[in-house]
Amino acid sequence: MNLASIRTICQTWKTSTLSSPFSIQPSLLPNIFLRNTSFFNKLPAEDIWRGVTAVSNAGKKRGRGKGSGKKVAKDLNKGQTIGLGKNNCIWPGLNSPIIRGNELVYQQKLSENLDRENGIFKLRDSLSNFRMVKLSSIDRGWSGSKMPGRSIGPPDTVGEEEFSSFDTRVLENKIVFIMKGNMGRKRRYSVLSVTGNGNGLGGFATVKAPEVRTALRKSKNRAGQKLINIDLCENRTIYHDFFTGFGKTKIYCFKKPEGYGLICHRAIQTICKVIGIKDLYAKIEGSTNLQHIVKAFIIGLMRQKSYQNIANETSLNIVEQRNARNGYTEIKAIAPISPVQETKKHAVDIMHFTLGNKIVLQKKATYPFYVDSKGHKLFQIKEERFRNQANVRLHKLVNFYG
Amino acid sequence: MSLLRYVRRLNALQGHQHCRREVSSAPAKSATLKYDQDPQPLFTDSETQRLLQSMTQLQLDKVFRKRTVKDNRSETKFMTNEQLETEFLQIIEKAKHLLKMPPIVKIKQDTERIIAKDPALKDFATTKYVFTDITFGLPHSERKVVVRETDGTLAYASLDTTKRMNQLYFPLEGRKSYTPRMFAYEELLHKCLEEHKYEFVLDRLTVQYEPYETEFHNLSARVFEHLNESKQFDLLRSTRHFGPMAFFYAWHRCIDDLLYDMIRRDYLHNAVELIALTYKIHKIPVEYTETLAKLEALHPTPDVSALSELRGFLRRPEEKQGIEQEIQTAIGKTEQDFAADDISLKFIEEYIASEHSLKKVQLELAVQTLKEINLEKLQLFQGLKKAHGVQAS
Repeated sequence: MNLASIRTICQTWKTSTLSSPFSIQPSLLPNIFLRNTSFFNKLPAEDIWRGVTAVSNAGKKRGRGKGSGKKVAKDLNKGQTIGLGKNNCIWPGLNSPIIRGNELVYQQKLSENLDRENGIFKLRDSLSNFRMVKLSSIDRGWSGSKMPGRSIGPPDTVGEEEFSSFDTRVLENKIVFIMKGNMGRKRRYSVLSVTGNGNGLGGFATVKAPEVRTALRKSKNRAGQKLINIDLCENRTIYHDFFTGFGKTKIYCFKKPEGYGLICHRAIQTICKVIGIKDLYAKIEGSTNLQHIVKAFIIGLMRQKSYQNIANETSLNIVEQRNARNGYTEIKAIAPISPVQETKKHAVDIMHFTLGNKIVLQKKATYPFYVDSKGHKLFQIKEERFRNQANVRLHKLVNFYG
Repeated sequence: MSLLRYVRRLNALQGHQHCRREVSSAPAKSATLKYDQDPQPLFTDSETQRLLQSMTQLQLDKVFRKRTVKDNRSETKFMTNEQLETEFLQIIEKAKHLLKMPPIVKIKQDTERIIAKDPALKDFATTKYVFTDITFGLPHSERKVVVRETDGTLAYASLDTTKRMNQLYFPLEGRKSYTPRMFAYEELLHKCLEEHKYEFVLDRLTVQYEPYETEFHNLSARVFEHLNESKQFDLLRSTRHFGPMAFFYAWHRCIDDLLYDMIRRDYLHNAVELIALTYKIHKIPVEYTETLAKLEALHPTPDVSALSELRGFLRRPEEKQGIEQEIQTAIGKTEQDFAADDISLKFIEEYIASEHSLKKVQLELAVQTLKEINLEKLQLFQGLKKAHGVQAS
């Protein structure tokens, strides 16, 4: 068999397989049974679509259809216009004017437009594919496109009260159920959000609503109605270290110097950002129930004492010594004259006072297991001679630069 | 991680290398004014020191101003009144320590001091040998450094070598073993001066060089000359460099700009002290001790006034101030101040009239303006006193 003969065989095979279904003319087939009633023309479109996209009530109870929302009913009318169809025709009065110039326009068949059909299919495909909305990194919350941590804008204007400088952030967004006499288990969305102007004003509210959007809106507006004023120390931090708690949640908050940042639970971070606290360290002990954290922290902020109040209580003067000012003693509050002070030779520690005589457990630094090993000691000895090398090289470069 | 950071830092530096050619390699120019004699005896004189300290002033807010530090922690403390009192004294001591002036001494000349000549050791090695006494705790000036030359001579090391060896074995924080580029290139130094970073330049100068070195004299003179032209004297007030600056101007007879600045800012007693210092340095036969004594009686020294300022914080707001005190704080001057001003103005006017002042018109105008303001204040002061029924003492 030579090469040419193989090619011919292949070609014949191809043509035979491809052309066979087309070669059968439908009109030539005898006795075709047509069933004009079907599932598709008996039921309305809505019901048919429900069959595809929804889960039956019984199924729902069994936990089926978890991915609901991914399948969406397609609008088959989309992309279709009256007068334009499979047959590309001019219909005077429908898709073209009846009279053009002085001439009457007649019905006329134009060449077939294949792109139209493809376009419609493409459109339908794009409708069906559910895509996660990609958020820009600025709008992102604590995690992905989830609501907690995300901003939902300032509360709505009430009368003449504008909340222009405010920002609201969602702290918690969850589904909650209650039992109703006639409806049974009823589902609602609970949203906890915090709002503030970044300058000491802040408020939070938990709101439940059957829809997420309503819950968000209501919670935002309610938070705007429940504002409290919190005094900020130097417009950036808290006045003093404090301990606060709510339920089983215990929080230790510490005042920190400028530029320290917010080192705390993300919920506390968000609250601080909204209120305007910039430097803070907070450690949560016990339960990390979000609602409790928020309440405990806000209570703690509200219970802060001014320096003068502390001075009055203890009848001791309060001073601050900052490293940035070379240890200069700045007087923060002066105690009223009282004989008590004379007896207090040993001034109490201000941290003990503000934490309510609690002592924070400072864990000892843990070193890696190899620290005491012989190999590590050897390594250190070998490395010692290079300990300043990086600096020297850097200075050399600096010196020869220019 | 740190290695990565370091590599990045290096890369960034190398990336900048294309800018190299922008900095011209011209060495720093030398100053025109130089101390022709040894200024040390006059500078360390107790009276001069007192004058300079008084001129420097002690503004606590300036001395303890906020600076960038690595660890900017703060500590809040409870204190009793007694503790505060001792704390205040400590603050003043610390401030005085921070304001200690770098000395002005003459340039030390390098002299060759040969210990021994051993021709037998000639060509023993191809390089010099430097021997350093690294006994712990010796002051840098007493550390012995000797050099064995290749020709066999054993001699004390030059000042330069000694400094280098000291820096090698007992490094001083902030001092570099090479000349900082800032001092080496005219363009960079000029840039610093143009931006009025006088304190920074002088601080670094004090760390880098010893007061007896030529560079120290040269560069500090450059800074003071530039300062005299830009007239930003207030930048150095209440820093350790104000005294040497005033001394420099007084020595080189160019105090008029500084004097004008002092009069304009109503530091009349400082102006008197500056003039007195000039008289003292140049031995001009004008009697100034009497005026100074009078002023001293009326004016507290800087540390005393700073201490009273600190104690003022302790005064409770609810405490009733005397009406006289209130008037004084409102006007900013006491009766004593007015008396002191009269004495100082007389002395200053005498100076302006003499042949020693160079910018007569300017100074006269400043004095005249100040007089008018003072008169107004005095009238207001007396009027207020009268209105409140306070007895004139």
